[in-house]
Amino acid sequence: MAYVATRGGERAIEQSERLFREEMGSFDRERVEEVKKGLPYLIDRVMGEASLYDEDLAALALAQTGGELYEAVLLLRAWRTTQPRLQVAEPIEQDSLFTHRRISAAFKDIPGGQVLGPTLDYAHRILATDVLQGVSYAPDPVEPATNPSPAYQPSVSAWQAENDLLDSPAEDPTKGNDIPDLTREPLLFPSKRAHTLQSLARAETGGVLALGYAAMRGYGQAHPTVNELRLAEAEIAVTHPDGRQFSAGRVKVSQAEVVDKKGEKLGIGFAATFGWNEVKCIAAATLDLNSPSAEKGSATEEEFFLYHTEGVESSGFCIHFKLPHYVTFQSSLDAMRDAKAKKAAKAREPAE
Amino acid sequence: MSLSTLTKPWEAMSYGFLDGSAKRELRRKMLKSVAVPGCQMPYASREVPMARGWGTGGLQVSLTLVNPQTRVKVIDQGADDSVNAASIRRFIARVAGTPTTMDTLEADLIQSRHRIPEEVLREDQVLVLQVPNPEPLRPVQPNMSIARQMHADADYGRMWLQLYEQIVRSGRVMQGASYPSLVHGRHVMTPSPIPRWDVPKLHMAEHLTILSAGREKRIFAVPPYTRVEPLVFSDVPYKVEEHGHLTCTRSGTKGFFMNEVPQDDGSSAFEVSDSEWGVKTIRARDGIGESRGETWYKDGEMPQ
Repeated sequence: MAYVATRGGERAIEQSERLFREEMGSFDRERVEEVKKGLPYLIDRVMGEASLYDEDLAALALAQTGGELYEAVLLLRAWRTTQPRLQVAEPIEQDSLFTHRRISAAFKDIPGGQVLGPTLDYAHRILATDVLQGVSYAPDPVEPATNPSPAYQPSVSAWQAENDLLDSPAEDPTKGNDIPDLTREPLLFPSKRAHTLQSLARAETGGVLALGYAAMRGYGQAHPTVNELRLAEAEIAVTHPDGRQFSAGRVKVSQAEVVDKKGEKLGIGFAATFGWNEVKCIAAATLDLNSPSAEKGSATEEEFFLYHTEGVESSGFCIHFKLPHYVTFQSSLDAMRDAKAKKAAKAREPAE
Repeated sequence: MSLSTLTKPWEAMSYGFLDGSAKRELRRKMLKSVAVPGCQMPYASREVPMARGWGTGGLQVSLTLVNPQTRVKVIDQGADDSVNAASIRRFIARVAGTPTTMDTLEADLIQSRHRIPEEVLREDQVLVLQVPNPEPLRPVQPNMSIARQMHADADYGRMWLQLYEQIVRSGRVMQGASYPSLVHGRHVMTPSPIPRWDVPKLHMAEHLTILSAGREKRIFAVPPYTRVEPLVFSDVPYKVEEHGHLTCTRSGTKGFFMNEVPQDDGSSAFEVSDSEWGVKTIRARDGIGESRGETWYKDGEMPQ
């Protein structure tokens, strides 16, 4: 019964997983806590791409996969999709965001002020090699400003709309469960606005950057000016079954608005995501800015960039090529050999 | 009313992994796809605990259709022992408590990647094919929204042109697997990357075939007793792989789709691709018992 290798296959996959896990050894709640505390921006990125805001689960996913980002995001997505939708939170307006950082490249100063907040933008990127010599790294303490900037800020585009520089998007009256939900409906084109923004919010950071960068370099029609970039915390207001509204907590969010001259007005692109992830938001907003005028099939066309920045799908398809394809390959070989034989036979025929 | 009355007691996982709303979505779209044979129905494909492109579409269909009595067979490239088939089979059994089998005749549901078993399927069996790319028009039109419009208009001119160009350039249709086929005289579908050998098995078949692409979020079906006709010109007949004369070096069976195995001496050996058919043939040869059912192909030929 040499043919029955089924147990062999099952044993092989079991052992290959063990081999992967053995490298990382056992882990416990303590490691999850360390990951959560030590890598907040990685946690943010993973939460954004998983579209699941839970720092503990994100840290667990990272610990469980040894930091294999695509695997971590897939773990969280697969967990998320089985969870019931209990409530739809109230919409969050820009001026209700508890803002940590808010900058505009469009104006020297803006109503509410430029707030640099936490950033490495002006840090000198020098590796702290001392740490490896046993010196511990202690950051210098922050000196509080004498006049703290206001925690809540108006949006820059609201000012521009008032000054007739830009047309604000029409208000969308859709509420609650009627808001299209990408995780419960297929994405079709032309895409619903909600689906577009949701797709960008959970897109893979590197993918969005690659296509956004292509648009910035000149493969797009619009040149982005960062109108406003924010890192903030948003209050999640939900309604209790007895009718009372209450806060379910705050989540870290980032958002970017980019603008470009479009006739006599400004065109605007927007993106927001869970967690603090500036690169993703600027790149995604740039794609959004470019998409209305994009040609079919170009990298800035909605269908193109939404499909190709879906990290779980793109990474999964990429690694699926490791699966055996010998049946399809055999089928192609058969056609190739037959075509070749036909050609050879024809060459042997005497010329008429 | 309280939050606890609105939810069920907490459980780590729903029966069959997918929650009720995901299964309802799948059922609705399966019914639609049966109602319009060969037409791709977009569906809300959920993430499952496997990577996209690894059979997540087929898996969602299987998880929706099974109950604890459903006997499940999973194959990849024709083999039950392929590692991903083993993984999917183990997962379905784990989350849905289904019995599993390798015998095509015993199975109630067969999830397959790239093959249709050699034994004839019956009315009470369901074949679920995993689909990497559901769009037969992709080679001539990569944009999904335009392709959708072309299906609506039954605008398959470019498809025919592509086949014609292949004949002019290479003397034959060069399409390997995934041979585009007209379903019920209306929609062109890809039968998934099954070899050309397997496409005629779908034509007027007794069983239901559901084709599901998880990553691309499209589902389509070939209901029982439905016409599936490969796109061919009247003067250039459809050609399956020339495997009818090959003999399996392991089991001795002849006249079925084979895997080519390169040998050290530069030659090729062949072994039958449907691994369970090979096992059954070996069992019969060794006198353990005859368990082979009727096959679609007879003496290496598909009866017309």
